[in-house]
Amino acid sequence: MRYAYRFNWYRTVRVYLDHNAGAPIRPQVRDAIADYLSRATHGNPSSVHRSGQEARRELEQARERVASLIGAHTRTIVFTSGGTESNNLAIFGAIGAAPKRHRIVTTAIEHSSLLTPLIDLESRGYEIIRVKPDREGLIDPAAVAEQINDETSVVSIGLANAEVGSIQKIGPIAESAANAGALVHLDAAQAAGRIPLDVSKLRCDLMTLSAHKLGGIEGSGALFLRRGARIVPTILGGPQESGLRAGTPNLIGAIAFGVAAEVSAANLDEESERLRHLSQQLLDRLSAAIPGLAVNGPSQDRLPNTLNLTFPGVLGETLLIAFDLEGIEVSMGSACAAGAVEPSHVLLAMGRSAAAARSSLRLSLGWNTTAEEIAFAGEIIPRVWQRIAEAEPIPTTEAA
Amino acid sequence: MKPRVLVAMSGGVDSSVAAALLHDQGYDVVGVAMRLTPDSTATGLSRRGTCCSHDDFEDARRVAERMKFPFYVVDLRADFASRVMENFVSEYLHGRTPNPCVMCNREIKFDRLWQRAQAIQADFVATGHYARIAQAQDGSYRLCRAVDITKDQTYFLFNLGQKELSRTLFPLGAMNKAEVRDIARDLKLTNADKPESQEICFVPNGDYARFVEEKAARVGLRPGRILDDNGAELARHDGVHHFTIGQRRGLGVATGEPLYVRSINPDTGDVTISRRECLSAKGLKARQVNMVWPRREPTFEADVRIRYRHHGIPSTVRLLDEPGFAEVRFDGDGPAVSPGQACVFYRGDEVLGGGFIERALEAQD
Repeated sequence: MRYAYRFNWYRTVRVYLDHNAGAPIRPQVRDAIADYLSRATHGNPSSVHRSGQEARRELEQARERVASLIGAHTRTIVFTSGGTESNNLAIFGAIGAAPKRHRIVTTAIEHSSLLTPLIDLESRGYEIIRVKPDREGLIDPAAVAEQINDETSVVSIGLANAEVGSIQKIGPIAESAANAGALVHLDAAQAAGRIPLDVSKLRCDLMTLSAHKLGGIEGSGALFLRRGARIVPTILGGPQESGLRAGTPNLIGAIAFGVAAEVSAANLDEESERLRHLSQQLLDRLSAAIPGLAVNGPSQDRLPNTLNLTFPGVLGETLLIAFDLEGIEVSMGSACAAGAVEPSHVLLAMGRSAAAARSSLRLSLGWNTTAEEIAFAGEIIPRVWQRIAEAEPIPTTEAA
Repeated sequence: MKPRVLVAMSGGVDSSVAAALLHDQGYDVVGVAMRLTPDSTATGLSRRGTCCSHDDFEDARRVAERMKFPFYVVDLRADFASRVMENFVSEYLHGRTPNPCVMCNREIKFDRLWQRAQAIQADFVATGHYARIAQAQDGSYRLCRAVDITKDQTYFLFNLGQKELSRTLFPLGAMNKAEVRDIARDLKLTNADKPESQEICFVPNGDYARFVEEKAARVGLRPGRILDDNGAELARHDGVHHFTIGQRRGLGVATGEPLYVRSINPDTGDVTISRRECLSAKGLKARQVNMVWPRREPTFEADVRIRYRHHGIPSTVRLLDEPGFAEVRFDGDGPAVSPGQACVFYRGDEVLGGGFIERALEAQD
């Protein structure tokens, strides 16, 4: 049980504001998994017999549901073990298919599942171009487009940033890449299910999706691969997933992903509006109570659920712990940066000081966030901030 | 409401057991492990990241999960580097022999961590130190040696004042190591039988000289001569940080009789070596003196320990007019003293105070 609370200091409420790290499993997903587990037989989707055929039908139904979340054809979806694998498959698959091209264009604010493979490739002689964002975390698509040349194998960009929620415009990138014969890869792990996505409008060749950001389960993701675009597999073995991802698929993960995608897509506009309203409410409340509070990220082109805030005069690390003891669960940034507590590379790239970055936290809302919870958080957060500013003051951070 | 205590947990047996005991006693325990040394990933991008993977704090986590109290890892590397490691390097470069554990207690555990404790509304900070805090009839606090005298760590804690003592808990002070190990086994701690490390945590291979060389700019090193008592040059050395007063080994000088470092001059780089009997000091001058003992008598008798494993020497301590300084006169001839080390004043089991050794007192002082 992922969200079983391990500790009994959970006394009153738990307000979970860390959906960008992973959303709680949706009830419909839980039911679908329970239904699957309660069956008499469980076959391998590759098997010929009836149980195998049933499994295959489940897998293909899930694929269809995931595909429709992004306006794609069913056959373009490759199930993977999650966003990280999808990003790795996109990058290594693209360079493997274009061995003569040694340039990759990306941005300075990517998730570690893109950053780290690219650092690795850089050390192996690839030329990695990292376009910097503006102070709001937005990338100028023209600046990306002009870096694309006929040496470029792939252009890889996070469609919505995990830490600050900035939503990138793709604009001239697709055309420039098409002219150069490069692939366009969008990491939509944070965008999918939160904003409407259509791969034909975005004109991307590859798109990373992750199930547990939508309320599916971890260990499940997908890579969209436009028909006609070519990559090579990175995991070799059987011919599963059109030969692009060997190994018996994670059927439960795929079923859960499919249901989560369907539920997310069903009331996307309404839900976006609800989350936008709740996060604005929270921001208004916090801004009124905390002098000098700053928002990191654009005011317009931002995920409706994401608030990245710089709390003046305190360490984010202490706030995080103190919030948790009060029942409010937030994060320092992307979940895997949290263990290291290094200042966020995203905020640094956006021109924030290391001190301001260390004073920043990400609050991300989602499907189970209620108005009551936001009211509670709006009460508790300023109180905790005040207490910490007195107990453990740090030099005032620059206004962001 | 139960009193809340922030327990500094290293992942080792002692602090894990300390946290478990406090939890059993009904405290609202919040376990905190400090990341102090820079060995963890520098950028979060390293392949061998500590994030989301097994780390040094597994035993601490295990206790927290078993006992169901919250546990967090906090990053105090920057504070540790600036307040403890820099001091360590600088002391060696100045020909002194620092004690980083004392500095860590003063600067990190009972200062930085206490701030953090207040931020989470903790009433106490607790550690797995072997030491006891007693309250006298007048309400003042006394720092006393642990019941298990072989494990006693009060030598490292002389910097605690009344304020710190009033909000500190040492649950292991009344226990011996065997009992602690028994509890650790009951708790199924993986480190229950692990031998203890005597090394300084940030110099894991024990090579202090090399650590100093890596941290200090080359210009900061002070090479010089090794001299005998008459000022004759016996050899040359590549830095005073290689030497400690009283050191015998590694001098690079072959003589018929055992010789020891008698003095280090960081300005000239001269290191004088001598026969053992010439090292004996009459006493010492201490700086940064902290008195735990609330009665501020200007002169008092005490047993003074000048090293961690030192048994103590009967002395007369005089607090000087210059604030923070004291003069310790040994009753009779004392051992060699190493500037930079802590000198701690005891009366029986009680710690009266302590400071850092500034220099030895010579006969003419």
